[in-house]
Amino acid sequence: MPLLRFELRKLLLNKKTLILLLCLFVLYSVIGLTSTMFLIGGNDSYRAYEELAADWEGTFDSEKAAQAEKIYQEVSARYGTDARMIARSVKDQPEIILAVNYHAYAGRVKEYWNGTPPESAGEPYGIALLQKKVPELERQGKQDTSDYRELSDSLQRLKELGEPKFANTLLWENLFNNWGEHMMQFLLFVPLTFVIAPVFAVERSSGMDNLILSSRNGRRKIVTAKLLSVITASTIVVLLYLIATFLFGFLPHGSFHGWDAAIQSIPTYAQSMFQFKVWQLAAVGAAWLIFTGAVYSLIICFISSRMKSQIGTAGISLAILFVNVGLAAMGDTVTQRLGALVDLGLANVTMMKEVFGGSKVFSMFGMNVSYPVMAIFVLTAISAVVAFGTYLGQKSRAVA
Amino acid sequence: MELQLEVVTKSYKNKQVLKGISLIMRVGVYGLLGPNGAGKTTMIRILADVLRPTKGSILYDRKDIHAVGDEYRANIGYLPQNVSFYGDFTGRDYLEYSAALKGMEKTHAKKRIEELAYSVGLLDDLNRKCTAYSGGMQRRLGIAQALLDDPEILILDEPTSGLDPYERIKFRNIISAYAKDRLVLLSTHIVSDVEQIAAQIMMMEYGTIQHIHPGGEYVRMMEGRVWLVEMPAEQLVSYQNQAVISNVRAKGDCMEVRIIEDAKPASNAVQAMPTLEDAYLYLFNYLPQKAGR
Repeated sequence: MPLLRFELRKLLLNKKTLILLLCLFVLYSVIGLTSTMFLIGGNDSYRAYEELAADWEGTFDSEKAAQAEKIYQEVSARYGTDARMIARSVKDQPEIILAVNYHAYAGRVKEYWNGTPPESAGEPYGIALLQKKVPELERQGKQDTSDYRELSDSLQRLKELGEPKFANTLLWENLFNNWGEHMMQFLLFVPLTFVIAPVFAVERSSGMDNLILSSRNGRRKIVTAKLLSVITASTIVVLLYLIATFLFGFLPHGSFHGWDAAIQSIPTYAQSMFQFKVWQLAAVGAAWLIFTGAVYSLIICFISSRMKSQIGTAGISLAILFVNVGLAAMGDTVTQRLGALVDLGLANVTMMKEVFGGSKVFSMFGMNVSYPVMAIFVLTAISAVVAFGTYLGQKSRAVA
Repeated sequence: MELQLEVVTKSYKNKQVLKGISLIMRVGVYGLLGPNGAGKTTMIRILADVLRPTKGSILYDRKDIHAVGDEYRANIGYLPQNVSFYGDFTGRDYLEYSAALKGMEKTHAKKRIEELAYSVGLLDDLNRKCTAYSGGMQRRLGIAQALLDDPEILILDEPTSGLDPYERIKFRNIISAYAKDRLVLLSTHIVSDVEQIAAQIMMMEYGTIQHIHPGGEYVRMMEGRVWLVEMPAEQLVSYQNQAVISNVRAKGDCMEVRIIEDAKPASNAVQAMPTLEDAYLYLFNYLPQKAGR
């Protein structure tokens, strides 16, 4: 399709954008490199950690937990209770990092059996808690409710998953932090906004609208070409991010240790109901970022088709992103009140830890739908609406 | 082939730019003359389907162009008033992109690009960036773009602005040869551009087509209305606010003034051969106080 070739060239394969992409790759590489260095220090520290952790991996051991608890109490008295803070403070002392990690793991095991504290805002979690709640609902005759289905499904799933095991997934944790935290939205989605914003707006500002709108393919095929070029450009930018953070997150230590552990070994995914291995989560997470990046880009494309300037397009797109981030960062009372609007807003839906890290389900037409399925449904619907809106806009568009 | 405007009106907020224009155009060259702000570009844009009329419709072979859609646009070549380019496109890129927009087959497009680049004198410059072209070269590239797919209807808005006299003559020749079995609409305020080649000339002002006749008819209409008067320079200063003057030439101690007027303006006035430019000034009553519009 010759039009796609030109649209790609205008959007991506031009000197300015290529320089921007190169700069982004360097930035992402630095992010990957520094985040892993902050985590455990130099390669020697990591090697030592790997050797020490090899003896601790596997099922829960109460003796080791007691040993870890002792070390943790000493360390937290000195550095506070934040695990990342402790890790940064003692990054050249792998035995302490290991003890802190095992201590956190022991807490997760406890939660698996006993459940989350009553004041927890998250979904009900834990064998004992669910075993108490499910019969309660049965006694109330609520077997047909979505709550009952959700809780009994969770209980069943938790039993199938079994007690979490301890594994050395340190470098993977770092990777998933880079792929699934708010920082990613700033590092990835903000530059993406500036790459995509000119897609339609540039035709207005350059005056090329005259040529395009008066031509045979200027009302429909050009939109198809532009939409495809937007998806391609966004995929390339996201891939740059994924590849750079992956390569430079693992390269300094030359190890992929923990790749076949269950994702429940990773603190952020401890309550996940998905039976993924770590490498599978990495693949799903990468695909998820590519997908959500494409949806966000299609939204920018739609805005661009309605705007006269690239700056205006970028401004509105970033405002949408930041409003979503702001809403997601609000306190529990606000987010609970706004419910699905926040859960399926851009901020949460683009973060893989939100989508794949918990047990959240949505009730739709009497069925319980998991978070990822619901998110795919909503994002696909948004994509279809903005794509249709873009076609419709171009059909009736006129020169200024 | 027939292109018909049916009571076409275009308004922007409270300002009516086109006021119910009705017109039928068939094969041949149509010149559209009028002062700045007459509505020429608006009419051209509506015909090129880059602007929608507020009221009325345009029929292409008796079918509404919006119903025909892509097929109508497939038959038009359009050169806008301002030709724009992408910063990193070469002349060849620009023409190839235009060919892709027109849905032209790749090998045919390549051949046409070479042919047209040769006829507009850009063959050696095709691989240079468009932004490095001079104004005239950019205009010629725009003309090549408009002719690329051999359109049945060619719509040109100010095609010769920025061209030197040789390029303008060359352009006229290309259009004349091209218009044999096609419809060419050429909007300009340079009278000589259309004088030579247009079969019909439309005079437009205040959003309406005031007159539509062959060029010769306008000239005939002016017979007995164009005068040459010799007067001192001081007299010219006061005289030029009262009469339509199409030319002034120094002749010895005094000035030879070309005046357009129904009656003999002075006892020493002698009749001159009228031109289309005289008709333009006469019809639009181009007095100096009106020229500021």
